[in-house]
Amino acid sequence: MSMLGIDSRREIEIRRYPMLVYVLAPLIALVLQAWLPRLVMPYVWFDFPLLITAYFAMARRSPIQGTTIGFILGILEDALTHRPIGINGIIKTLVGFLAASVGVRIDVENVTIRVLLTFLLSVLSSALYLLIVRVMLGMTMEWLWYNELFRAIGNSLIVLVLFHLLDRLKIKD
Amino acid sequence: MESFFSRYRNLLVLFVLLVGQIVGLAVQVRRTTDGRSVLDPKDGSGVRLIRYWAESMVIPTVGGIHYSRLGMSGLWQSYIDLHNVRQQNLDLQRTIDRLRLEQAALLEDAKQGHRLQAMLDFQQKYIYKTVAAQAVATSGSDQSRLFYIDKGSDQGLKPDMAVITADGIVGKVRDVWARTAQVLAINDQTSGAGVILETTRIRGILRGNAAGRLEIIGVIKDDRIKPGEKVLTAGGDMIFPRGLPVGEVQEVVADPDRDSHIVIYLKPAAQLNRLDEVLIITVTDPRFSDEQQQDMATSEALKAPDVNTLREQQKASKIMAERLPGLTDPNLPADQQPQQPPEGTPPPPPGPTHAQPALHPDRFSPSASPAPKPVTPAAPVQPQAKSPATAPRKTKPNDGRN
Repeated sequence: MSMLGIDSRREIEIRRYPMLVYVLAPLIALVLQAWLPRLVMPYVWFDFPLLITAYFAMARRSPIQGTTIGFILGILEDALTHRPIGINGIIKTLVGFLAASVGVRIDVENVTIRVLLTFLLSVLSSALYLLIVRVMLGMTMEWLWYNELFRAIGNSLIVLVLFHLLDRLKIKD
Repeated sequence: MESFFSRYRNLLVLFVLLVGQIVGLAVQVRRTTDGRSVLDPKDGSGVRLIRYWAESMVIPTVGGIHYSRLGMSGLWQSYIDLHNVRQQNLDLQRTIDRLRLEQAALLEDAKQGHRLQAMLDFQQKYIYKTVAAQAVATSGSDQSRLFYIDKGSDQGLKPDMAVITADGIVGKVRDVWARTAQVLAINDQTSGAGVILETTRIRGILRGNAAGRLEIIGVIKDDRIKPGEKVLTAGGDMIFPRGLPVGEVQEVVADPDRDSHIVIYLKPAAQLNRLDEVLIITVTDPRFSDEQQQDMATSEALKAPDVNTLREQQKASKIMAERLPGLTDPNLPADQQPQQPPEGTPPPPPGPTHAQPALHPDRFSPSASPAPKPVTPAAPVQPQAKSPATAPRKTKPNDGRN
């Protein structure tokens, strides 16, 4: 009965976007992630691929779509680094799945919930990165906790503007 | 069975994607003999293909944005903000003319140095050709301090070439595509280079830490290392030529992992966080460019009158030396001139010396002895008066004690 309720809610509140948005938004996220660090500061206190993954996963309310978007963005993000391909892929895949699962159950239109959820997903992302590199792969990597905290705060602030802009691109019924 | 897949399709998709990526990671990371896990430096064909896709999608777009920004700023600087440019241009032209002449002289010295180096079989490399490139994009992660440049294999770039600026070293080329290439910065955690401290000549290994700060590890504690000392490349890593600036010592702290070792933090010579244009060292063989050879020919042509003047001066001094008074007597014929030893002949050894006459002669003086009389054969021997010096002495019998 509860599953039926969730499915009904999905049908009612699901968002749709033009196909161009699904192509361009992830691409722009990757471009900004590659370009902005040259201009602003030595530390990268934002993660646009994570934000795009979380947004589409919550807006579409489909764990499969969230997982797939996260997988593609994560793999491409890894491919631009010199680290093994799959680290960010695993992280974004899990983030997409969790964001979509949460989006099915709670109201993600609320700004406070969006900011809080983004903060938690950013912290989770950093923890998963550390776990995968150090424990799963057994590679040495130094880690600064305050960098990850600043990144989570930065992502939460960007959400206030970015999600609002993306909301305006949805197809209105 | 159908209901199982439809009911758990979300989890199944998640599971498949995760397992696929975990297997992919396992393929890329290998274990070394000392038990460490490292990324295989040579990407597999599949991994390289994914990197190529990502690079093809993202980097050209970033490059376009970068050049648009440069174009806008160039428009302002080149066509609008031209205050005092003409005068600066004239000054620079004069400076270039002067420096080219100075450089020609230095190149000749360098040429001589190379000949000596070849004789001594040194392995040191010099920079002879570089390619300028623009840094257009980053990896987007502070766990991977990597950036992209707008030159690639079409311009002769290859993996492991050194990347520098006029201020100091920047990193090394990693992956190369046709028109772009990845550069791994020296402040990345996986980076490494051999360095030497300029004054104390202490060697160490340069790398980056999590905060992107440069540090030297593997150095035993030494009180001579002070902040401000310059650090140069050691040249033993087969990537960076020897003697390039790396940075200067900023702080020296004890190594928390190894007793009696220290970690030296550096202030980089190059602005690693604000890179725009870099140089890639493509040729390190001892070879001069056409322009440098032309400068050297010009220098030799300019020096020719000086050489002739020097020869004239030498000739004049020789004539003058012949006319000056010396050991030769101008009144004597040449065959009667005193023989002089040829140059380089050592002086003769000193002959026997004659004793000076004694001031107060006595019987021991050489001249005090009478001259010997001539001896006639078969003549009777005349007894001679015994002198005290020759008379036998009465001696005590030797009792065996000295």
